[in-house]
Amino acid sequence: ARATSRALALPRVQCPNHPDALLVEDYRAGDMICPECGLVVGDRVIDVGSEWRTFTNEKAVKDPSRVGDAQNPLLNGGDLTTMISKGTGAASFDEFGNSKYQNRRTMSSSDRAMLNAFKEITTMADRINLPRNIIDRTNNLFKQVYEQKSLKGRANDAIASACLYIACRQEGVPRTFKEICAVSRISKKEIGRCFKLILKALETSVDLITTGDFMSRFCSNLGLPKQVQMAATFIARKAVELDLVPGRSPISVAAAAIYMASQASAEKKTQKEIGDIAGVADVTIRQSYRLIYPRAADLFPPDFKFDTPVDKLPQL
Amino acid sequence: MDQNNSIPPFQGLASPQGAMTPGMPIFSPMMPYGSGLTPQPVQNTNSLSILEEQQRQQQQQQQQAQQAQQANTGPGTSGQTPQLFHSQTVGGSTTTALPGSTSLYATPLTPMTPITPATPASESSGIVPQLQNIVSTVNLGCKLDLKTIALRARNAEYNPKRFAAVIMRIREPRTTALIFSSGKMVCTGAKSEEQSRLAARKYARVVQKLGFPAKFLDFKIQNMVGSCDVKFPIRLEGLVLTHQQFSSYEPELFPGLIYRMIKPRIVLLIFVSGKVVLTGAKVRGEIYEAFENIYPILKGFRKTT
Repeated sequence: ARATSRALALPRVQCPNHPDALLVEDYRAGDMICPECGLVVGDRVIDVGSEWRTFTNEKAVKDPSRVGDAQNPLLNGGDLTTMISKGTGAASFDEFGNSKYQNRRTMSSSDRAMLNAFKEITTMADRINLPRNIIDRTNNLFKQVYEQKSLKGRANDAIASACLYIACRQEGVPRTFKEICAVSRISKKEIGRCFKLILKALETSVDLITTGDFMSRFCSNLGLPKQVQMAATFIARKAVELDLVPGRSPISVAAAAIYMASQASAEKKTQKEIGDIAGVADVTIRQSYRLIYPRAADLFPPDFKFDTPVDKLPQL
Repeated sequence: MDQNNSIPPFQGLASPQGAMTPGMPIFSPMMPYGSGLTPQPVQNTNSLSILEEQQRQQQQQQQQAQQAQQANTGPGTSGQTPQLFHSQTVGGSTTTALPGSTSLYATPLTPMTPITPATPASESSGIVPQLQNIVSTVNLGCKLDLKTIALRARNAEYNPKRFAAVIMRIREPRTTALIFSSGKMVCTGAKSEEQSRLAARKYARVVQKLGFPAKFLDFKIQNMVGSCDVKFPIRLEGLVLTHQQFSSYEPELFPGLIYRMIKPRIVLLIFVSGKVVLTGAKVRGEIYEAFENIYPILKGFRKTT
């Protein structure tokens, strides 16, 4: 962290000739320089850079750095406690081999559960390769929910999974409940319940999911080319606009659209494959496909190259 | 007012609905006659003397007058201020009080709070929600031995490992009762308040015949479920956008929109097909009122294609 010595309190370092000038810090020499006239105003500023340069490929057994991890002030409330670590030399063990100094008390029991939850969130997010911003948002949501204590009785893992779901939605890249279920030990029902409770507790709302949110993920998981993906997106959007599938979940409509687009192209995928990726049953895809099949000709984008013409599409 | 809550002991099981809850019939002659269970203004005198009935009608009129004074509303809407009075006691004998006139909230004494969905002054919907289920509880007033009840009563099942109550069913009215060893009983499945009370009395009589000193204390209706059809498809996405603080629509979790109305406190399940389920009511009037509140909103989100 840059240490600007321009505190709001009394000792204000300023250039005597230019009191309004913002001082520039030169950390190499430890000086504060006035940009207007070049006068060195403050000197012997403490260097806050790192003490050692550590390289990751060095096989140094101990890290000579004497500072710990970066603090996470947003989430942990600025915990500055220290503790005595276990001894390493021979003198720290008594005759039976037990360590002499046994202080394994938890340093912050109030944050213990929260730290555990953060670890769990990071683990879950890593499984589906979620970026750092979603993890940060999830951590923030969890912290808010945890501090509010309105969902105190619920399992922390359930709340963490629901926070992950909400964070993905809020970032505009929603994941289906089934996808979150796949990386969490909590059931979909419980995640759904916690989701609704958290929205109530934090008084936020989320946007409704649309078919287009899932297209790129499902299509690339299936290995479909960009043309097919764009066609499927167009089909699903058109189907919803024409209200051919009232009351159907957007996931099912998306899956049916992918099926129709892939069957019309060279890369044909079966309903079972699409069902596995999307998390919908193949009968569900069949139902939604039956609803959009009659208007298939209208649903395809105008510039689509048909490998199988519209009238030869499978009729289920 | 007291008459609404007390249970006149001399009345038999087959008491007419109107007599039990005189305040309830606020509904116009437009109500479907075929339901047969619609509370009508009290004209039948099955188990009451004529004198009593005249007294009650006078009382109702007094209430009416009181309400009219207090609410300072026109004669047509005299009963329709549910937020000031119990819905039960609303405009008992006014046959012209239509359910739809609750939408005339623009009277000066009824503040347009932001928690109430804004309802334009319009005619009534003409659709009346039908009650599908009533859950009620009653205290039989004595400890019961569930094993003897289960062994000796007909149509009773008891599996203490699964659930700590006897589940008994009767065919008329078709209901199910959960009877607990403390003497408390839950009666579900009836289609009207009177049927629920009648069924609860029947269960109490069964228990009494088995040798327990059963009484009939604190009969209370805990929940009423109604359903109806607005006959047009609804754009749920639009509804959830505008009524975000009341609605929850998650197609992944449930295909219907869950609308939690604050006043009256009713939960409505609204489906794309236009079917609406209302639940959480303690009295029939809350269901009707909630539907009248939601109907103009739903009309605004009618699907045009």
